[in-house]
Amino acid sequence: MSGIEILQIWVAAFFTLAIFSFLYKDNPLFKFGEHVFAGLSAGYYIGLVWKSIILQQLWYPILAGEWLLVFPAMLGLLMFARLIPKISWVSRVSLAFVMGNTAGVFLISQLNGMILPQMQATMLPLVSPDGFGATLMALIIVVGVISTLIYFYFSKEHTGALGVTAKVGIWFIMVAFGAHFGYTVMARVSLLIGRVYFLYHDWLGSFYQIL
Amino acid sequence: MNIWDRLARLDRRWIYLLVALAVIFPLIVPTTFKIHITPEARQLYDAVEALPDSSVVMLTFDYYPSTLAETEPMSIAALHHLFRKDCRVVTVTTIPLGGPSIAERVTRAVAAEHGKVYGVDYVNLGFKYGYVAVLKGMGSSIEAIYPTDNSSVPLSELPMMRSIRNYGDISFIYIVSDNAIVDYWISIVNAEYATPIGIGVTAVSAPKYYAFISSGQVTGLLGGMKGAAEYERLVSKEAMAFKGMAMQSLVHLLIIALVIAGNIGFFAGRRAKKRTAA
Repeated sequence: MSGIEILQIWVAAFFTLAIFSFLYKDNPLFKFGEHVFAGLSAGYYIGLVWKSIILQQLWYPILAGEWLLVFPAMLGLLMFARLIPKISWVSRVSLAFVMGNTAGVFLISQLNGMILPQMQATMLPLVSPDGFGATLMALIIVVGVISTLIYFYFSKEHTGALGVTAKVGIWFIMVAFGAHFGYTVMARVSLLIGRVYFLYHDWLGSFYQIL
Repeated sequence: MNIWDRLARLDRRWIYLLVALAVIFPLIVPTTFKIHITPEARQLYDAVEALPDSSVVMLTFDYYPSTLAETEPMSIAALHHLFRKDCRVVTVTTIPLGGPSIAERVTRAVAAEHGKVYGVDYVNLGFKYGYVAVLKGMGSSIEAIYPTDNSSVPLSELPMMRSIRNYGDISFIYIVSDNAIVDYWISIVNAEYATPIGIGVTAVSAPKYYAFISSGQVTGLLGGMKGAAEYERLVSKEAMAFKGMAMQSLVHLLIIALVIAGNIGFFAGRRAKKRTAA
């Protein structure tokens, strides 16, 4: 392990401990870590946009003769008109382009790639030839989808059969929330494990290198 | 004040301390927990296993450094599996903050273990801004979107990339992600170009993607550190995620105990209040 690698590990360990110190109480060390992270991220993004968009995707291609890129560049510049109140309306041209383009792309991809395949996967034969287990699963999916959709149907008061079905829907929603919450706890614990593993193996390990 | 009242008023920092101890204990006293392989992880493993040798696989590094504990072990295990099968690997990322450097570091380290050569057996395309345009554009021409690789080497100078033009030349896309970019890989790439997709995601987003398994849009799913540990097990490369499962399990047991204790305390307190009121 080289000297620079050890230094990197120590910097990472210092900021990990600085952020963890908030668990005891808010303190200047935590604030310092938080502000350094926010500043570094902002600086990194500015550098990234400058290099990977302005230079690589716009300036260099224009210099190489791709003159058509001048038009998207102009649309981008129009966005800055928002800073001048008198001509701020000009920025709507660029926004209209972005909104139209995004709507066109996403309308097709969402319909084709999300809504229709997911609907198709819900239209299951209630009696499956694969046995009782598959039939039960199909029933759970169909009942779950219908009752959850009915819970979100607000044009009629949830009474009678509609009310009972909506209540079944709530149970399905609660189960889904429970699964999501359980997984979220697992995810957060994993992140903690990652940092503790780093401190134990890499940071404490670097002591042996130094000694 | 009885024990339940004390528990209800317990300073939360004691709970943090208990969680910290549960995480640190397995590091000091090596502990292992049995890992059950889920059908979704097995499905992903089998899908890669079924690929003909020297197939081209696209592996994505769509994650930020903050979720490395969950996602990096998936990438490492996936690369071991792919290189062992002599697959040619193209890595990409839609994440600017850390994505390209993580891909570079992880891929080069695993490739060196398998004796793979850059440009012949694997290529790191890096990051390009505008994920929708990037995902759609690679369907027509990868070189039009990425004229150069992550180190600014023109793709035409990389022998492996001469025969890989678009998704049509890619047999499988292995996505490792910590965000909703997976939705676009499914709705744009899988739906429009029919390229099979397998995913490894953080535990937070895993429940959402089970629906895509049953609809057949996704071939296999790894969820969080547990999914990573399963894949490490499947490829016989047990590493960080596998070791982390002991800590994960201990913390889960602790949380379950605390939830039970909290609920008992709540009901006991309510009963005591009713008695006092009567």
